[in-house]
Amino acid sequence: MSEQPVHYYINGIGILSPQKTFDNNSFLTEITSYDQNVLRCITPEFKDYINPIQLRRLNRMLRIGLTAATICMRDAKVQSPDGIITGTGYGFLDETAKFLRELLEQQEKQLTPTYFMQSTYNALAGLIALSVKCMGYNNTYVSKGLAFENVLDDAILRLRENKDHNFLIGAFDEAAEVQYLASIRASHFKTEHIQNLDLFKTTTKGSIQGEGAAFFMLSGKASDTTWCILRDMQFVYNPSNAEVVTESITSFLAANNTTLQDIDLWIDGASGDVEYDRIMNTLSETLFKEVYHVRFKHLCGESCTASSFALWLGASILKHQQVPEILKVDKERDLSGLKSVLIVNQYMNKNFSFFLLKHI
Amino acid sequence: MSQRVFITGYGIITSLGKNATENLHALVHRKAGYGELSVLDTIHRTTLPACEVKIHDQQLYTSVGVTADIGFTRTTLLGLMALQEAIKMAGLSEEEVKSSGLLSATTNGGIREFEKYYYELMDPEQRGDFVRFTDTANPGEHCERMADFIGIKKYIGTISTACSSSANTLMQGAQLIKYKKLDRVICGGAEALSKFTINGFNSLMILDPEHCRPFDSTRKGLNLGEGAAYIVLESEEAIARSGKTPIAELKGYGNANDAFHQTASSPDGKGAFLAMEQALSMAGISPEEVDYINAHGTATENNDLSEGLGIQRLFGEQVPDFSSTKPYTGHTLAAAGSVEAIYCLMALQQQKVWPNLNFKNQMPELSITPVQQLKENKVLRNVLSNSFGFGGNTSSLLLVSV
Repeated sequence: MSEQPVHYYINGIGILSPQKTFDNNSFLTEITSYDQNVLRCITPEFKDYINPIQLRRLNRMLRIGLTAATICMRDAKVQSPDGIITGTGYGFLDETAKFLRELLEQQEKQLTPTYFMQSTYNALAGLIALSVKCMGYNNTYVSKGLAFENVLDDAILRLRENKDHNFLIGAFDEAAEVQYLASIRASHFKTEHIQNLDLFKTTTKGSIQGEGAAFFMLSGKASDTTWCILRDMQFVYNPSNAEVVTESITSFLAANNTTLQDIDLWIDGASGDVEYDRIMNTLSETLFKEVYHVRFKHLCGESCTASSFALWLGASILKHQQVPEILKVDKERDLSGLKSVLIVNQYMNKNFSFFLLKHI
Repeated sequence: MSQRVFITGYGIITSLGKNATENLHALVHRKAGYGELSVLDTIHRTTLPACEVKIHDQQLYTSVGVTADIGFTRTTLLGLMALQEAIKMAGLSEEEVKSSGLLSATTNGGIREFEKYYYELMDPEQRGDFVRFTDTANPGEHCERMADFIGIKKYIGTISTACSSSANTLMQGAQLIKYKKLDRVICGGAEALSKFTINGFNSLMILDPEHCRPFDSTRKGLNLGEGAAYIVLESEEAIARSGKTPIAELKGYGNANDAFHQTASSPDGKGAFLAMEQALSMAGISPEEVDYINAHGTATENNDLSEGLGIQRLFGEQVPDFSSTKPYTGHTLAAAGSVEAIYCLMALQQQKVWPNLNFKNQMPELSITPVQQLKENKVLRNVLSNSFGFGGNTSSLLLVSV
């Protein structure tokens, strides 16, 4: 057993999202806007990442997920990781629904197994393991808005056993039509049409539906491909009010020998939902009043694992030492020498998480 | 210094019975949980044998102490039955429950309710009581519902790695305790039968129209079951504080991936071998010291061959007693890992080895034979529990008597 790592290094990233994020050489240089409330992934040529025989057999989300994982492994220059851990809120819900519809329409008769096989939540983690012949640790979390956070906790504890290991960790969620239809009744998504870039101008209930797949190579050891340090992550489940979240953030920072003054920038997981954003809005007016403020869900939409997009964003800001205009809430100020980024995400005002990132 | 992980309580509901006592009684008396499906409405009710919990949702509501239908899925209800028993057995106070973590496993969450109300849910114009089930296609929904109901806030998580899911909750729960993130974690899984799962497995043609026969040369596939099982894990520090006598120690665990095929195990059982080997190596226990293996033993052609070869490879000439308890409960999928971990705990407590029912014919590919009759007064100290799943996931837990 090697010594316990103090820092966790993000040594590679691959991300597909409703923005053009698959190319690690550019950082939000072109912004895509959407006229409907559902944002889907912008994808590269899959055949550049997946062999054609395999490609034909895979559903859309498996293609997106495997591509993001492959970009990440190439970026980190790791051929096969020591373990693979994925997280997802709804998994392959549209595949699940395809099988379900067939089952209902055909009264449980003459069903083919393809949709069923590709609907299991661990299908992506299994597929990646199969593709790179990784027989190591393999796990999948499906904990709604905390799925990606559970993944990180798992990987961090595993790295405490061996800091030299490389864990390929990631999250994926699709903008499933089934979820959209089922939950729009409860105004989980906005009922009026908006343009995604205007998300934070709205004052109504609901967000816009997003999707994506993001993978990170996490290790207890830095490499020549390191993006940034993940100092720590913590989540809070079902806090009763903003004070509980404020206290949690304060003790989280203290546990990591960091003060609010050390934070150069905070990434706000507000979703544009007038109700669910209440605690986040309170935080921005109180705890984070003096901290430089950026938001992101107008770019990727809301999903259970949107915090994985935020992690990529934070890592990119530290790596490129640059904050794209589209993210900024505040007026311009000197942002040179960015050292610490704090992500505070929320999902449905119930699942909260904090990520502390440091420049290498 | 890392913490040792102890077990202080468990709760279980399966087709064998609605609590630990009833399950133990059935295991001892070779009473399997088969019967025609009568709670779930499916065209396969008389043709595909399954192991159903013969309690309707309304009775489950009453048992868990809820007076009105508040949109709990059957998965949540079965889960709560087992959770409440586990908390009671471990003697946890309200405060201790609140500061516990909850890690739950499921393969489908509330798909049973989602499929029942599918057309209503898919029409945003419709209104009605079915809206209680709006989010039941989400696999994490049941865990939040259970956590909210019993008052857990500290830490939650849901795992889904097909049929090895709840074994992985025990593993991650142990990790959280070992590295002092939590003092206490309740781990396990819940799985309700649904049309979705029955037809899914049926379309894969791995359901046996007769009672399943693990490790038998005539085996034709698995039978599905439902149930829930949760185990309370506590740190050695917590045990020292409370002065509780633990039931057993979770001393080792291994997780690997077969990396062979999306839904099939490797023919040489490499993943199974790796998971068991890791569990033993973590505990510092040699293969000769293992007294019993509760095999995954689904009775599919593929699993039993792969697992059997993995066992032979690890244990060589000295293969310990082993059996699959799936002919009792059917395959309870995400709950199977924790159901069978509890059967291992019962084996340790009772010093009994559970028989592998329905075995008649030796597999020609294997040199090993499962235990067929109940073995009593057998000295059991170290017990392995295997759980494998689609996607190549293999997990193994080592439970040690204290």
